[in-house]
Amino acid sequence: MGDVSDRIGRPTDNGQVGIIDPDCRLIGLHLYDGLFKVIPFDNKGQLKEAFNIRLEELQVLDIRFLYGCSKPTIAVLYQDNKDARHLKTYEVALKDKDFIEGPWSQNNLDNGAGLLIPVPLPLGGVVIIGEETIVYCNGSSFKAIPIRPSITRAYGRVDPDGSRFLLGDNSGLLHLLVISHERERITGLKIEHLGETSVASSISYLDNAVVYVGSKYGDSQLVKLNLQPDEKGSYVEVLEKYVNLGPIVDFCVVDLERQGQGQVVTCSGAYKDGSLRIVRNGIGINEQASVELQGIKGLWSLRSSTTDPNDTFLVVSFISETRILAMNMEDELEETEIEGFYAQSQTLFCQNALYDQLVQVTASSVRLVSCASRELRDIWNAPSGFSVNVATANPTQVLLATGGGHLVYLEIGNGKLAQVKHLQLEYEISCLDINPIGEKTNSSSLAAVGMWTDISVRIFSLPSLDLITKENLGGEIIPRSVLICAFEGVSYLLCALGDGHLFNFLLNLTTGELSNRKKVSLGTQPITLRTFSSKDTTYVFAASDRPTVIYSSNKKLLYSNVNLKEVSHMCPFNSAAFPDSLAIAKEGELSIGTIDDIQKLHIRSIPLGEHARRICHQEQSRTFGICSLRNCLINNDETEIHFVRLLDDQTFEFVSTYQLDTFEYGCSIISCSFSDDNNVYYCVGTAYVLPEENEPTKGRILVFAVEDGKLQLIAEKETKGAVYSLNAFNGKLLAAINQKIQLYKWMLREDGTRELQSECGHHGHILALYVQTRGDFIVVGDLMKSISLLLYKHEEGAIEERARDYNANWMTAVEILDDDVYLGAENNFNLFAVRKNSDGATDEERGRLEVVGEFHLGEFVNRFRHGSLVMRLPDSETGGIPTVIFGTVNGVIGIAASLAHDHYVFLEKLQSNLVKVIKGVGGLSHDQWRSFNNEKKTVEARNFLDGDLIESFLDLSRPRMDEISKSMGVSVEELCKRVEELTRLH
Amino acid sequence: MWKEVRDREAGKILPRLFTSRVRSRRVAALQLSNHKEIISAHRGAINSIQVDLTEGRYLLSGASDASVAIYDIQQASDYGERGLIAKHRSLLFVDKQHEHGHKFAISSAIWYPIDTGLFITGSFDHDIKVWDTNTAQAIMAYKMPGKVYGTAMSSIATAHMLIAAGSADVQVRLCDIASGAFTHTLSGHRDGVMTLEWSSSSEWVLMTGGCDGAIRFWDVRQAGCFLVLDQLRSQLGRRPPLTENPLKKVNASRITPAGKNSARASPSHKRVLPGNAMKNSTASTKRHNFPRGSAAQRLHPGMSSSLNRATAHYGAVTGLRATSDGMYLLSSGSDSRLRLWDVESGCNTLVNFEAMRLQTSKPLQLAVTHDSSVVFVPCMTSIRAYHLWSGVTFQTLRGHYESVNCCYINWHDQEIYSGSNDRKILVWSPISSTVSEMEGESKAADQDNWSD
Repeated sequence: MGDVSDRIGRPTDNGQVGIIDPDCRLIGLHLYDGLFKVIPFDNKGQLKEAFNIRLEELQVLDIRFLYGCSKPTIAVLYQDNKDARHLKTYEVALKDKDFIEGPWSQNNLDNGAGLLIPVPLPLGGVVIIGEETIVYCNGSSFKAIPIRPSITRAYGRVDPDGSRFLLGDNSGLLHLLVISHERERITGLKIEHLGETSVASSISYLDNAVVYVGSKYGDSQLVKLNLQPDEKGSYVEVLEKYVNLGPIVDFCVVDLERQGQGQVVTCSGAYKDGSLRIVRNGIGINEQASVELQGIKGLWSLRSSTTDPNDTFLVVSFISETRILAMNMEDELEETEIEGFYAQSQTLFCQNALYDQLVQVTASSVRLVSCASRELRDIWNAPSGFSVNVATANPTQVLLATGGGHLVYLEIGNGKLAQVKHLQLEYEISCLDINPIGEKTNSSSLAAVGMWTDISVRIFSLPSLDLITKENLGGEIIPRSVLICAFEGVSYLLCALGDGHLFNFLLNLTTGELSNRKKVSLGTQPITLRTFSSKDTTYVFAASDRPTVIYSSNKKLLYSNVNLKEVSHMCPFNSAAFPDSLAIAKEGELSIGTIDDIQKLHIRSIPLGEHARRICHQEQSRTFGICSLRNCLINNDETEIHFVRLLDDQTFEFVSTYQLDTFEYGCSIISCSFSDDNNVYYCVGTAYVLPEENEPTKGRILVFAVEDGKLQLIAEKETKGAVYSLNAFNGKLLAAINQKIQLYKWMLREDGTRELQSECGHHGHILALYVQTRGDFIVVGDLMKSISLLLYKHEEGAIEERARDYNANWMTAVEILDDDVYLGAENNFNLFAVRKNSDGATDEERGRLEVVGEFHLGEFVNRFRHGSLVMRLPDSETGGIPTVIFGTVNGVIGIAASLAHDHYVFLEKLQSNLVKVIKGVGGLSHDQWRSFNNEKKTVEARNFLDGDLIESFLDLSRPRMDEISKSMGVSVEELCKRVEELTRLH
Repeated sequence: MWKEVRDREAGKILPRLFTSRVRSRRVAALQLSNHKEIISAHRGAINSIQVDLTEGRYLLSGASDASVAIYDIQQASDYGERGLIAKHRSLLFVDKQHEHGHKFAISSAIWYPIDTGLFITGSFDHDIKVWDTNTAQAIMAYKMPGKVYGTAMSSIATAHMLIAAGSADVQVRLCDIASGAFTHTLSGHRDGVMTLEWSSSSEWVLMTGGCDGAIRFWDVRQAGCFLVLDQLRSQLGRRPPLTENPLKKVNASRITPAGKNSARASPSHKRVLPGNAMKNSTASTKRHNFPRGSAAQRLHPGMSSSLNRATAHYGAVTGLRATSDGMYLLSSGSDSRLRLWDVESGCNTLVNFEAMRLQTSKPLQLAVTHDSSVVFVPCMTSIRAYHLWSGVTFQTLRGHYESVNCCYINWHDQEIYSGSNDRKILVWSPISSTVSEMEGESKAADQDNWSD
């Protein structure tokens, strides 16, 4: 391993190039202007010492190795002083560590030439893709064809001999370039239109006409190229899509369902792939029907016969009665009776049994009922003086516990219940399970039993009821629910406690041994575990105050919270009218609903076909306002048209549109209200971007009201520049216009109309791009001069600078974390935090924002917003931690949480221990990666923690965890608990 | 700008490209600042100015009246002209009256590169003084054998704290702040040393320009200079072409204007690469790997007389400035020429900077943008900006009434500060529309009144 960074040279502006010689003789890197770094391979494939070669071409656009050269040869596409583009070749002389002038060159290419495609043998040479031409040359022959003007950014080779290439341009069109040749002589170039894909950033031809199209600006796709065109003339058939949120240029956090849980609505994608994406955490239940029912104590579904694929009955148990609901002919749920059941007491368990029978367990008896006649066929009565406390059953077996620690095992025959075994344990039994997961689908050879008093879980063999394993759980909270289950072929024993904790063990089905104990906390109330299946996969539903679905992915248990407040009981209810549904008992209500796909984040796409750039939500009108743009052909000229659009927040349909003037761009949008006016308005800031101007000198602030679902322009105000940012500020409107911060009052004219009137301003910024406010304070993120803090003085009606960060950070986003601390993101993918130093001793100290945190995020942040993607329970430990969500160019959504000091210290220690145990990808150092790094300095990260790294603690093996626990001096359980708390933040 | 901001947030242009575009656009729009003014406290020609390297906030200036001053260029002291013009007055001013003040003209004033706690002045009274910024007291003084023309400290040094000083004497001296004593004398120049510059890629390499017209490269860990730049050694002998007709190729490249593709090494020279050089440079056993040419064995003291007598300029070398990427060096001479040198090979790149007239008798302080694209040169009463690769005049900044001695580029704000014999420090900043905007607004208000 080596370091390829140099202290000489300036990093390239056009992006780094890394290429490998097709004959594997060396790696070439272009990282700094004027330098080409060579890492040679020896003949064993080992890397040898790297060296630099001077590259005189300063503005390098692309470098590729050529095929079939006796010495490694590069082709360099570059731009000269006069902005003309040329191609040059160099041989790399490994011995002399220098270039030798290459075999050929090609001057004066297309002005838009930007992509080189090396062509394999037998042809050799390169194809140069320009904006208007495609050129092939190899020194001896030259061929050019004109193309429809387009910008091609990606190519993929189809044939190993390089006779066909796929090209993707930035309007998402896929073309096929055919190079016809006779042996080594080129005879022609041909370009053919294939169809449309996402805007391609990379194209990989896989095989059998299947192509992967990777996209930065839309969803990546797997497409098939058909031999025959479809009715639209396209040869492209999209097989699969891979969600990509990037680039997230703006987003807002809303609570559309008003459940107290945030959702993020992003402006994603670019060009024609622009879309809104609704990102939601946790699993949603789409309620289909509900009835008010108080005091539900249990819930089971039953089929009307063993052969019926659908559930018919829903058995609802209450403290002193059992009610049975059934689907009637009109597919309505109505109360019914099963004669054989005992309805005057609480049901402890219900189950469809073999031989077309039903089993009901109550406190006093076990009843076997015929499905067909619904009559009682057999009954087992609890011994007098004893009542059944807990019970469980499967199609052939019943296991129940009566007071005094008696465990009774019954087997179900045809019309017969037989007590097979009885055992008395030393303590009372708290929960039982005999869920069959082994080879036999109807019976289990193991029984799990949870105990009072010694707080243990035990595994017994069936039918002998021999104790196989006893696992003490520790603590004082009794197990409330045990479950034997299998995910992805792995058997687990889950055991839930009365305080919301859950143990999971690996269960050996043949020996009954438990191993790999893990404990997680799901909520604070007792948990009831139930399995259900959806789309042929088994999941476990943990009903509690924080209902959770447990599932497994890559043989790792995952916990996804369900977007419901509190669930006491759940059972699957797959009826004809409600297929694949769940019946859920929650606070005084029984509801039936379907469940979302089981995954953590749910992303819904609203394709717009245009590029949305700014978004905000208006609660009162239940609408979203967006600023968007669309490329249109007008008189054969491609021009951008900009819109302000209003979308319904439920259907996401455009309900109203306001088209901006020619050259007028929408730059910012907010929803706000003004003092002395009860209406809520959308305010839009714009800029007139004239082709001859470097910086806009004119813009507008437009004030819209939503009337009858339509955008109504109420007022407009011309500005002397682009309105980069708008904020509601003390019942007024604060705008950032080029160098200036300007405050506008909302004034009533004599004729009753309203207008914006400028009140005061503050200048002295290079460009005030990002502005946030809190109270009378204004935090400005400047184009290149970091963060400054301004204060609005009511009495004087003036805005004054209070303090400033004197570092030269090029800002990309800013947010106010609290009164004193402000968070910023800058151009080199770093985050930093500054603090107001109001009790500094001198004016100089008070006038300086002190940098209190620095961190390399590795992502380009476009926006911060306060909010959270998870439902926050105010009483939980994490409830009080403020969080900020950020969205990045790569489509990352992340959370920055402000931790209390002792919490931080603890986790910081954990992180430093984890770094020792967890090795980074490629052995790269975590500290180095997270070090704040810009053109001027590199300093170690401080006061920021890497949450992803800390959470990876939960994935460690037990010995590793022990190692960390030892060096921390904190038990593994405690560590797990604290890390899990953190995972709740997102 | 708006378009760039938009493309950056959509990931269509890389953040680096964004910053370099914005900067070069702003550099292209430089003019005499209409919103920022430095109120010079000096009563003599300003010879040297520098902004501190840590925060880019404090401007240090030294003048012929033996005074030195510091200005806060970020935070204005007050505002004039309806609050639109920020006035920056000196925070600290030391002149002859000060107990430690220099007696004669200050030729050079530089910041200690690590923090703003110290600064260094060199004066015609033969003294170099190290000052504590907070107390305004000289805490160290070095007596030089002649008038001090220039001082320099390495901004990348981590292993030494050396002030390199050039004076009317032929020897260059290195003053160690850590010990308060001279550590080395570097002999080689045949006349006084006007200007000094540390390499921006190796902390051990010092470049000096003398009144003898020579530019010498020194590795301060070793005795003697290891390279003398020769204006006649250009790099036109291009890399050997693959095809066996070198004559034709060479001719062809001669015809092409000596523009950008000019850094060329003669094929006989084995080239060792600068990037690796930097890493090895800490290992003292490794020789410094600037190309030594055929005379490599006889570097010092008996460097062959022809090599040793090579000159970079006819007349004195008055200014040196290394590009921040460490690959090029610019020099100005009393022959009114500006030369661009390829540091690695020591070759004259032959970039033909358009005609200029330079002051001949004083050290000049040049400024180069950090992206090595534009150089600012004090040309008598104006400052001219040249494209580094073509030598074409790109801009002429006129505003001083007398000859300009020094200019400094503040790369963070893309501002230029210049000091002149007219005792003024002028600020050149990218066009800002603030003022015109305010005027426009008041006009608009007037119009509204009329229409009522």
